[in-house]
Amino acid sequence: MEKKFSGKIWKFGNDIDTDTIIPGKRGTIPDVEEMKKYAFELLKPEFASTVQPGDILVAGTNFGCGSSREQAATVIARNGVKCIIAKSYARIFFRNAFNSGILLLTCDGIQDICEGGDIVTVDVDAGTVTVNGQTFRVGAIPENLFNIVSNGGLIEDTKKRIAAGIKPSEITPLTLEQCRKKGYTMAEKLLKKNAGKEHVEPGDIVITKPDMLMIHDIYTTYLLNTLNAMGAEKIDDPDKVTIIFDHCMPTAVAKNDYDHYNAGLAIAEKYGIKKLHIGEGICHTIMHEAKYAKPGGIATATDSHTTTYGGAGNFCSGIGTAEMAAAMITGELWFKVPSAIKIVLNGHLKDGVMSKDVILRILGDIKADGGQYKSLEFTGPAAHEMSMEQRFTVANMALEAGAKCGLFEADEKTAEYYGMPLEEIDWVCVDEEAKYERTLVYDVSELEPQLSCPQGVDNVHPVSEVEGTPIDEVYLGSCTNGSIEDLEVAAKIMKGKKVAEGLRFVVVPATNTVFKQAIERGYIKTFIEAGGVISHPCCGLCCGMPYGLMTDDERILLTANRNFIGRQGTKKTLSYLSSPAVAAATAIAGVVTDPTKIM
Amino acid sequence: MGTFVEKMLGGAAGTVVTVIPDYIVINDGVSHAAVEDISTVAAPGKVLVIYDHDVPTGRPEAAAILKKNLEFAKKYGCRYIQAKGVGYQYMLNEIVQPGQIVVGGGSHGSVFGAKGALGIDVSIPELARVTETGRYSIVVPETVYVKLTGRLKDGVSMMDAAFAMLKGAGDLKRKAVEIYAPQANQHEKEILCGMACITGAYTAGMTQEEPLNAYELDLGTVEPMVMLPCADRKSQAQAQITEKASLAGKELQAGQIGGFNGGTIEELRKAAELIEGKTLARGFRLTVCPATSEDYIKACEEGILAKLIDFGAQISAAGEHSVVVQGPGALGPKERMISTGLHTYFGAMGCEDSEVYSASVESVMASAVTKQI
Repeated sequence: MEKKFSGKIWKFGNDIDTDTIIPGKRGTIPDVEEMKKYAFELLKPEFASTVQPGDILVAGTNFGCGSSREQAATVIARNGVKCIIAKSYARIFFRNAFNSGILLLTCDGIQDICEGGDIVTVDVDAGTVTVNGQTFRVGAIPENLFNIVSNGGLIEDTKKRIAAGIKPSEITPLTLEQCRKKGYTMAEKLLKKNAGKEHVEPGDIVITKPDMLMIHDIYTTYLLNTLNAMGAEKIDDPDKVTIIFDHCMPTAVAKNDYDHYNAGLAIAEKYGIKKLHIGEGICHTIMHEAKYAKPGGIATATDSHTTTYGGAGNFCSGIGTAEMAAAMITGELWFKVPSAIKIVLNGHLKDGVMSKDVILRILGDIKADGGQYKSLEFTGPAAHEMSMEQRFTVANMALEAGAKCGLFEADEKTAEYYGMPLEEIDWVCVDEEAKYERTLVYDVSELEPQLSCPQGVDNVHPVSEVEGTPIDEVYLGSCTNGSIEDLEVAAKIMKGKKVAEGLRFVVVPATNTVFKQAIERGYIKTFIEAGGVISHPCCGLCCGMPYGLMTDDERILLTANRNFIGRQGTKKTLSYLSSPAVAAATAIAGVVTDPTKIM
Repeated sequence: MGTFVEKMLGGAAGTVVTVIPDYIVINDGVSHAAVEDISTVAAPGKVLVIYDHDVPTGRPEAAAILKKNLEFAKKYGCRYIQAKGVGYQYMLNEIVQPGQIVVGGGSHGSVFGAKGALGIDVSIPELARVTETGRYSIVVPETVYVKLTGRLKDGVSMMDAAFAMLKGAGDLKRKAVEIYAPQANQHEKEILCGMACITGAYTAGMTQEEPLNAYELDLGTVEPMVMLPCADRKSQAQAQITEKASLAGKELQAGQIGGFNGGTIEELRKAAELIEGKTLARGFRLTVCPATSEDYIKACEEGILAKLIDFGAQISAAGEHSVVVQGPGALGPKERMISTGLHTYFGAMGCEDSEVYSASVESVMASAVTKQI
């Protein structure tokens, strides 16, 4: 790749999410050459047919937010785009784009003086971009990242490493005593422990050896292709890899899902991976339920909501497929140490107000990019009062603020959930001396139920502002709110009642374990008698799979984590996100309802 | 005296009769198409609008159909039923009484014959007409009698017997089938009646009196049977039926049990028994679809669902899932499924070149272990 080049501009605004880049329903097309035809299909339908090799995208803030789908970067690269200039990027997209061979430049200013069709000139060595006679500075690109781009992406780069013989980095993890050294954020402590560093600071890049790598079936076909393309005959440690079939299992999209299923089996077979969960529920819930992601450890997965196990004080964040392949082969993964925001939760949640309401309120306050590449660290009495399930809900959605991770302190509840002595994990806590970029303090006692309204996760309103809105379907499930506690809250509200006439009520327990508990405790019977239907544990409608898809102008309320345009139906479907308590109350009333008023 | 169908319609074979149906059924499977042609409803109290196919909705188009059906039901004051499972099965258990007449637009309405009610499936324009006028006219069909003797062997189901009956009884097109089977329990009668029309018969019923002139089938001679894939929905009535042994060893990727012949509590109990001590074959996807919500709850309470979940089955929402364009259980290109569903045309369960083989719960569960027919 040349270090000085020019290209024609395609201009985009702020918060271009990965669903806009490639819609979720297109994201499972097995062939990338076919998939790339749908890039930006909802926003710029002419893009894929008219883009030319060498064209350059210019965008505002938070480009590539949303899911971890590497395909978002891949389809851009496959359409010939090798450079993007934006004010800022979503963190997973940032990694994925470099790994796909796209140069990402950070620049604030060019957006105001250029239009689509203008020609921009990039000079990497000089660190500038020039358009319409004006020149702007861009952030420096480290040599190793430029090399990955230059080599055509991570695949080619890893091939070279395999050819040279993989040399594992020598890392001695910190002792318990070293972990207890004060003055660090939780993210810093977790990273330095694993990386064997006595000291780290935000911005440092550390090499870690993750304790668990998790693959889910959305990416099995691409991962298998990537592993093959890299020429991987074996992987570093099969016991540190888990494969979970949850997005495409049960197979539901006829032309695609079978392929993800077969590829998952093939990966397990070829590399001797025994931790295989086929249609047993949602990966993120299984990761803590099966104790794969533990307090004090590092886990990573090919999914954006990997932040979930932060609820147990595990450093976990999503990565793309190529990085997963490289991590499986080498056992290693680099992380940039994030800066952190401390969130102090004081007071006590009222009956009918849940941890979902807390995280929705925070998202509404700090917005979809408010936690960009940061660690959100939760402390305070209300955080400790939350059950493990409630903490997982908050950590799961921290990602929606762009956060690298969302961490809770390890306490007695954590130790009990994992059957570990507290002394082993009590260092996962917020240090008074640690440097936090900012501190947010909430008194949750006065919090009322919150809803994320159409059409963006951070468009958050208290229920009092949305009450009475008619709803056509209610969906209870997802890795955010599909736990047994969530089902219990809903079942208690719905017991002996009927859902509103014509309203469709769909329940999808998070895992088989939750499903069986819900059967045993009679919740499933309650839901069915109320007029609901139960689908097998899976990601379901949360990720846009066919479990209650909606048509134009219909309104759906979900306990899930995303309401991007088009995700639950057509681009005219309106999606609301809420807690299970709001969902249950709303299902009965047929209009958005405040559960605290009926409990 | 007269045959079952003659008594129900009130006329001898060959005469023209007009009857007032007790229930008219419109659902989200095929018959929703009638809604667009209906401009008035003669007797709204008799019209049931049922959501039981694409549960939960697998496509935005499916949601649009429901919207249309719900608006129709509200406009005319018809009863809207959802989340009860397969509509016909729910009606059979909860609504329809012996002696009543039910007109619908599906293909297994004859199941009501098991309860002494007359189930008739009509074309979409006819369904629209019946809804508008409240009347249904027909030339009373001839009746073919079937007499079942003996007892089924172990591992053979009444579903196999129904296939054997259809294969052996000759041309049943537009005939009424009347079955004498004193050894059959109520559930088995439902299977016999529900399946009787899949080769083109008009309707079916049971008789208590031993018929003189009947096609006779000794259940003791019945072997496990399979209905083969066929070209398209229109040629479903011509799908071949054969003994399962002739297909032994054919590799499969998926299996499904559901509907009135695979998803009722009686069949789910069987399925749970059959997996005792067995392991689901790696690479075989098993979907279980309880027929009604009541079956679902019973299966929960009896510990059957928990057993099936532990076995690795994927449990679908109660409903009619024998045709899935997009939704749980869908097949990929060239994949093969063995199913209790009676739609075996190419693409019924997913990709256009995927195949469905219809067979009993016993056969599906055996395949779940071997990954073969």
